[in-house]
Amino acid sequence: MPPQLIDILFALAAIGLLGLSAAVVLIRNPVRSTLLLILSFLPTALLYILMQAPFVGILQILVYGGAIMMLFTFVIMMINPAPKGGEIPGEDAKIRWKGLVSTLVLLAVAGIIVIPPVYHAAMALPPAAVGKPGFGGIASLAELIFRDPANNPLTVSFELISFLILVGIIAALNFSRRRRSDISGDA
Amino acid sequence: MPLFNLANCLALALLLVLIGGFGVLRRRSLLLVLLSVEVMLNGVNIALIAFNYFRWGQSESGHYLYMLSIGVAAVEAAVGLSMVIVLFRNYRDITRERISMLGETRE
Repeated sequence: MPPQLIDILFALAAIGLLGLSAAVVLIRNPVRSTLLLILSFLPTALLYILMQAPFVGILQILVYGGAIMMLFTFVIMMINPAPKGGEIPGEDAKIRWKGLVSTLVLLAVAGIIVIPPVYHAAMALPPAAVGKPGFGGIASLAELIFRDPANNPLTVSFELISFLILVGIIAALNFSRRRRSDISGDA
Repeated sequence: MPLFNLANCLALALLLVLIGGFGVLRRRSLLLVLLSVEVMLNGVNIALIAFNYFRWGQSESGHYLYMLSIGVAAVEAAVGLSMVIVLFRNYRDITRERISMLGETRE
């Protein structure tokens, strides 16, 4: 791919991503906000593909956009937190100013304390020699995770994610279960 | 001047984290606070993949960290949303001010 084309695609994806994310945060209607977040995963996936991570780009759309964000959409549709006209009640100018000021303070702290050391450390690393065929594909990633499974720490930690998800399922079921007293109380 | 470099990708990630943080502070509905957390997480994931591409081309360690991150994001969404549902069932309202008392009053 010629370098100018990469730059143009990167600029388009970055602008689209920033605009959609800002809209997610600023827009009033919660359903539209969720759908815009799902839409913002498309430029994110384009960025991943530009960075030679095609499988991660597919995961972003299929798993993140298709499964996790659908959960959000279902819950928002179910409890519908916009009682009148899509407005979140009482979202007044004072709260907005507080949020803006806090963000600016956060930006200043990040600019002064966090960014310079991270930036210098990152620039001190040698540039990567990417170009290995199949980099970022499913086969290459599977090779990284599951090669020599008895001695590979990535295999163990990858399997531990499934345990974490199991614990999450149990916690979610336990939270949303109706207690016996609730059922006899108000039903 | 090439636009597509590590510094620009990290700046994009930082801006996404700040946009998400702004949303966390500004939104009053708990559901939308969780949604803003997802925006922040998106920025962090972009930083992971960018570091892997620009500074570590030998293996896909950053892609692996991304997969860990979306696993945690799925669990976070499931547990957080079920907590929101429980709060909505108890209070009929999920704005921050109403539920900041951790069960002192149950109206």
